[in-house]
Amino acid sequence: MKKILSIAIAGALFSQPVFAADMNKVLRVAFVAPETGFDPGKVSDVYSSSITENVFDPMLTYDYMARPVKLTPNTLTEMPQLSEDGKVLTLHIKKGIYFAPDAVFKGQKRELTAADYVYSLKRLVDPVTGSPTGYLIAGKFIGLDEWVKSAKNGKLDYDKTVEGIKTLDRYTLQLTLKEPYPALQYVLAMPHLGAVAREVMEAYADNTMSHPVGTGPYMVTEWKPGTHISLVANPNYRQRVFDYKPGDDLDDQRVAKEMNGKTIPQIGRVEVSIIQEDTPRWLTFRNGDLDTIDSIPQTLVRGSMLLDSKDPWRVDLKPDLKKRGIKLYRDLAEEITYFVFNMKDEVVGGYTKDKIALRRAISMSFNTGETIRNIRRNQAVKAQYIVPPNVAGHNPNFKAAFEYNPALANALLDEFGYKMGPDGKRLLPSGTPLVVDFITGTTATDKQWNEYWQKAFDSIKVKVSFRQMQWNEQVKSLRTCTYGMDGAAWLADYPDGDNFTMMLYGKNIGSENYACYKSPSYDRLYEASQKLSDGSERNALYDQMNKIMMADTPWVMGDTRFKNYVAHQWVKGTKAHPQFNTLWRYQDIQK
Amino acid sequence: MLAYIIRRVLQMIPTLFGVMLLVFFLFSVVGGDPSLILGGKHLTEEVLNNIRSQLGLDKSLPEQFFIFVKQVFTLDFGTSWSTQQPVSSMIASRVGPSLTLTGSLLVVSLFVSIPLAAIVAYFRGGLTDRVVTIACTVAMSISALVYIVVGQYVLAYELAWFPVRGWGDSLFTNLLIYVPLPLLMGLLVSVGPDIRFYRSFFIEEMNNDYVRTARAKGLSEQKIMLKHVLRNAMIPVVTTVMMSLPFLMMGALILESFFGIPGMGNEVLLAVNKSDFPVIKAVTIYIAIATMIFNLLADLVYKLIDPRVQLK
Repeated sequence: MKKILSIAIAGALFSQPVFAADMNKVLRVAFVAPETGFDPGKVSDVYSSSITENVFDPMLTYDYMARPVKLTPNTLTEMPQLSEDGKVLTLHIKKGIYFAPDAVFKGQKRELTAADYVYSLKRLVDPVTGSPTGYLIAGKFIGLDEWVKSAKNGKLDYDKTVEGIKTLDRYTLQLTLKEPYPALQYVLAMPHLGAVAREVMEAYADNTMSHPVGTGPYMVTEWKPGTHISLVANPNYRQRVFDYKPGDDLDDQRVAKEMNGKTIPQIGRVEVSIIQEDTPRWLTFRNGDLDTIDSIPQTLVRGSMLLDSKDPWRVDLKPDLKKRGIKLYRDLAEEITYFVFNMKDEVVGGYTKDKIALRRAISMSFNTGETIRNIRRNQAVKAQYIVPPNVAGHNPNFKAAFEYNPALANALLDEFGYKMGPDGKRLLPSGTPLVVDFITGTTATDKQWNEYWQKAFDSIKVKVSFRQMQWNEQVKSLRTCTYGMDGAAWLADYPDGDNFTMMLYGKNIGSENYACYKSPSYDRLYEASQKLSDGSERNALYDQMNKIMMADTPWVMGDTRFKNYVAHQWVKGTKAHPQFNTLWRYQDIQK
Repeated sequence: MLAYIIRRVLQMIPTLFGVMLLVFFLFSVVGGDPSLILGGKHLTEEVLNNIRSQLGLDKSLPEQFFIFVKQVFTLDFGTSWSTQQPVSSMIASRVGPSLTLTGSLLVVSLFVSIPLAAIVAYFRGGLTDRVVTIACTVAMSISALVYIVVGQYVLAYELAWFPVRGWGDSLFTNLLIYVPLPLLMGLLVSVGPDIRFYRSFFIEEMNNDYVRTARAKGLSEQKIMLKHVLRNAMIPVVTTVMMSLPFLMMGALILESFFGIPGMGNEVLLAVNKSDFPVIKAVTIYIAIATMIFNLLADLVYKLIDPRVQLK
């Protein structure tokens, strides 16, 4: 539908002598859900971000090889310099970084400057952009909120200097914060904060979603929404050479051997098909028409992997797949799934002992191990901490989930006066009927989860009423605290504990705090933790916050799923990365 | 006939207005709030209000309805709330693949099911009739998903007779390479009920007095079937086909989804899931208009098939 590149750009492709990517190397991949567009300021879904992270350059990025993940300069000459009070960041942009060719540049090479980042940052809080990620910087920088309020007829003056986000010279940017914001370094590595050129955004103002022009390794050449996306290597991309010195890890040694000395990117073209159905996606991969897929479909896990029912970490591909040269790259996703109680609900909410007992009993009645085995097909581990593994601030020794113990759950309910009614179901201590209002989606998987929950509630003789609804209705209920229980999942925006602990912060009720949970002591600790960088001091606060969460029990801890990335043997340089949505720019194809 | 056509076209205006009222009521009054989906993970009242304002949802309902009416009469439904792409170009790019699949499926299905229905009707009560009827019942009892999954695995993956999925840029490539497997799967699903459905029309016609009279006059069975029964049985067939034509542009959701056909079925499902009202409204209005036009065409075709039909 959209031929995005002009003929002039196609000409430019062949006029660049330093162009390293091999245009004959085509990587064919699939998304499991459709993208929405490619304006980095406007998109927040995984699939759109998978494209924008290849097209736009944020100032920082992650080291491809380092584990745990490590931030590294991307378009900066060095990591940001931070003032002693932690409020002023000075960032030096590398010279000689150019935007991909576009008709707007009229045949001239357009260099990236500090002003582009100023524009891109301001754009995120502009109501006209309507950015779903603007909250990451709103209220943080000096003068930014005032600038937003100064809008005349809804239009903001981008030429007006904002004290907190300004250039010192052509290549130097200064960010001044109201309060220290250690997580900012992760925010600066998000694809949403990639640099856009003002003249491009203004030229395509009526349709910025289909005109992505950045300084990243790839550019979009064709977009058929919800169907197909084609990318080619950006001919203006700066010279970067893969140079990694591996340690003892055999996988690292393999990647170094396959990629060292090669320029980034090696693959000239990436063809993305949107294949929502599991079976055709898997068959297309198996017969070699796709080179990689991001995850083995859950329904096909048992048919394609050898599993150990006792240890989800021990898995291997089945021999027929190994024989075809297919390789598995596996890691835990940066996520947590959980079931949430509405703390304002008349039945399950509240902070009195009898309410806490009810929530704990419900937690103990649910067999997470069973759902991991049967629904997740052993492709998940129990969540035991608000901050999941692979995310800064996680404590692997903390056990926040209540053990499955229906007998103890029943004893707890007996103890706190939840007596049996005439129908064999429990009543509230006041003698009124006890029915838990559980909101849920409408898919087959939702129904499967409901069956396990029904079993859990039956085991403690508590009535549950499932209310099926569409996602937007669920969101409405969660925001307005008008439900009893619901299932939820949170994928990291950035790999820092702050992105998870915020979910129980009182001021986030109506937003990420689905539990409508308000604990003064949790809030105090959260506010203190926000001012600290990752380290023992902050970890101690996180432990206390987890203890408070356990004491009040606003959540039933769920699980964290594995990502089972698979690739054919001809795809080289693969190493699963917990933060990147795609690995294209670091891979090669050798058929 | 011209007066009849003009009268029918004029009747379409209040009907379309009724459809517009209904669509507007369903999506703008009782429908869910799309800003809750479009707002991303961090939803604050400020974010939601901003989205509602950008989508025009902060305007009064009469104002919103007026905009909708204007959109219908200019056939410009604005941009998708989800992808911000023009709705008209989205639909234009999706209708072609849907029609390629559903159109060829309809044609092939008619060519297979009508002759088979005529044959089994002719041999009604006999072995052929029983075998075909049982086969149809069995075919109808199997889920479309089973056909698709087995077809993709055996015919495409194991035997490599067809591609597992995909879609090309030229009509010829699509008809030759990408359509055959989904068409075959669609045929397996639809041909059973179609044969049984059309068989009943043929049997009804064959029991009429004029058939007995024709036989008494010494006409051959072939002539009776082809000249008299087939022609009369075509009236309900035409009704069924004409009524189904507007929905061809809606595509075949499951087939499109499994075979990677970039048609309307997928688009409509996405629009519903994302509360993308401009797309939903546009599709509904197009279908309503097409239904009215094809109803009119069906009435005109009756007249051609059966001169006794009076257009009033």
